[in-house]
Amino acid sequence: MAETTTPSAPSRAVSRPVSEALLNEKWDRCLSNLIIKSSLGLGFGVVFSVLLFKRRAWPAFVGVGFGAGRAYEECNYSLKQAARDIKRQA
Amino acid sequence: MLRTSLRSVRALGNRPAAAAAGRQWQWQVAAARRAVVPGQRFYADGKKPDEVKIPASETLTAPSTPPPPPSEKVAPSTISSKNAPLTPPSPPPPPPAPRRKKGFFRRLRNFILTLTLLSALGFGGGVWYSRINDNFHDFFTEYVPYGEQAVLYLEEMDFRKRFPNVANRVTGRRPDGEQVKIPAQSGASWRVADGHESGGRQSSAIQKVAAAKPKSEPAVVNEAKTETGKLPKTNAKEKKGDIQKPVPAPVEKKPESTPEPTPAPVPSRALAPALSAPPADKAWKAPEVDEPSRWPPASPIDPLAVPDAAEPVVQELVHLLNDIITVINHDGASEKYGATVGKAKGELNKVGQKIRQLKTSVEQEAAQQVKKRVDDFDKAANELVSRLDAVMSAQEQQFRREFEAEVERLKQSYDNKVKLIQERERQLAEEKLNNTLLQQAIELQRQFARDIKKHVEEERDGRLGKLNELTAAVASLEKLTAGWNEVVDATQRTQQLHVAVEAVRASLEDAHHPRPFTKELVALKEIAAHDPVVDAAIASIHPSAYQRGISTPAELIDRFRRVAAEVRKASLLPDNAGVASHAASAVLSKVLFKKQGLAAGDDVESILTRTQTFLEEGDLDNAAREMNGLTGWSKTLSRDWLAEVRKVLEVRQALEVIQTEARLQSLKLE
Repeated sequence: MAETTTPSAPSRAVSRPVSEALLNEKWDRCLSNLIIKSSLGLGFGVVFSVLLFKRRAWPAFVGVGFGAGRAYEECNYSLKQAARDIKRQA
Repeated sequence: MLRTSLRSVRALGNRPAAAAAGRQWQWQVAAARRAVVPGQRFYADGKKPDEVKIPASETLTAPSTPPPPPSEKVAPSTISSKNAPLTPPSPPPPPPAPRRKKGFFRRLRNFILTLTLLSALGFGGGVWYSRINDNFHDFFTEYVPYGEQAVLYLEEMDFRKRFPNVANRVTGRRPDGEQVKIPAQSGASWRVADGHESGGRQSSAIQKVAAAKPKSEPAVVNEAKTETGKLPKTNAKEKKGDIQKPVPAPVEKKPESTPEPTPAPVPSRALAPALSAPPADKAWKAPEVDEPSRWPPASPIDPLAVPDAAEPVVQELVHLLNDIITVINHDGASEKYGATVGKAKGELNKVGQKIRQLKTSVEQEAAQQVKKRVDDFDKAANELVSRLDAVMSAQEQQFRREFEAEVERLKQSYDNKVKLIQERERQLAEEKLNNTLLQQAIELQRQFARDIKKHVEEERDGRLGKLNELTAAVASLEKLTAGWNEVVDATQRTQQLHVAVEAVRASLEDAHHPRPFTKELVALKEIAAHDPVVDAAIASIHPSAYQRGISTPAELIDRFRRVAAEVRKASLLPDNAGVASHAASAVLSKVLFKKQGLAAGDDVESILTRTQTFLEEGDLDNAAREMNGLTGWSKTLSRDWLAEVRKVLEVRQALEVIQTEARLQSLKLE
């Protein structure tokens, strides 16, 4: 998907994204968000596991879970907001 | 004696009105008057003529005071007095009688003496008392004869004593005034003529003589005389010889004074010596003359009858003398003064004659002078007349010459005028003729011009009509050519329009990439030249279209494929889709069956297939319509593509419109 969008994007105006790339963009953001937050959670979990829980694994997983959950929720919100906007426009 | 009385009377006569005035006033006035009176006396003594003249006239008044004379007055005129000289004057005066005849008149004399003494005393007392008591003064001055004069005199003396300077001044002044006054007051001449009193008095004396009643008259006269004679004396006594020392000897003075004053005019000198003599005699002989005067009463001095009495001066003199004579007659002293009076008469006559001679000589002289003057005048007049004649004749000749010259000139001028007029007349006539000729010539010319015009018009009508037709034809031709030009122009324009439109189309179709076609559009617009249709068509094109250019159909199809893939991914999304639904839709859309051709149905897949087919057919319009039917996320995703297609469609439509317009125009021209 990224391959298809990239060639058209540079030809077009850089300022505004093309309408067909809207969803893809959102998806990109969500993914990046997920990675960052889950990694952050993982990092916290690891630190917690090392510091508090004597190097147990579950604190790290819990951290990843918190991060992924947070990212998911954000993505969901953005998509719903976009849908609401579309509805309003129509 | 007589003189004194007369003088006093005169003093009275001078101021009759003053007596009526108030006492204070009177006092002053009287003082002034009195100042005059004594002055007069002085002058009389110093041989001033004024004084003495008055007595003559005034003597008449003195006797008039006693009542009897007026009753006997028969109003005779001066002539009567003159006629009366023959009658004896007043018979012997009584006063001397008592003195001389002791036996007869002793008692009478005593009586008279006592009477006079008493009266003098009374008078003196009265005068004195009148100075003290005002009421008595009034009474005294009013009722007692000579009382006023006496009082006034006394007052005057008093005044003099008090103000000697003033008195002197007054006296110094007065004489001149008196000189002027006296002649007017004296009136000796005319009183003799008119005055009843004077006439009466004189007549009375004469008549008495005529009636041979000397006794009765003299008595009265005597009384009057005695009274008058005493008066001055009493006055003198009372005055006590203040300044007037001459008064004590009045008798001596009066005679002298009389002669001088009488002759106011020239003859005074002649008379003066004559008259002065008799009074002097009388003064000594008065008492002695008494006896003789008694028996020759028939020889009283004749009143003077002067033949040349017409002369006023002489008349006055005569009158004066007559008065003197009457007085003398009354006195009965005619004997005494006869000679002197006669002499005086003679002198008077001489004076009269002299005057007459003088008159005649003067008259002769005057006549001679008049004659001379008349002769001179005659001569002068003659000379004047002759000169005038000469001048007149000279003037006449001159006038005649001038007149002739004038006539000549006039004639010439008139001739000239006539000539001029004739000339003018001739010129006028000629001019008139010329004018008529000119008029005729003008008329002929006009006629000629009219004829020519007519001919020309006739000629012209034929040719002009043809010319008009020709011009019309030319005009139509011009119109035609113009029209054709227009047509040509229009065709050119339409052709250009076509070319432009073709150029635009070519630029659109020819390009492999979208590129701007603004230049072409601008050219098209210029060529269209404000064609409303073209303008509207161009305006309908979105500015971004010709600025960026429009995508080619190949591009559109390519893009559609990408758009279709995305749209398919979102085709299964519910209304309120979350992450899960999106993911599900993306995953599940892969497994959906693909449709082919014009698939029926409202779902996204069928719409997309239909669009694709339309696009493949090249029907952009329908493809756009189909894509427009999408909703939700699909529509949002395909929005940009749709806009692109619309732009292309708009441009195409506009171009088509322009093309049709151009075609229409070209069709219009055909």
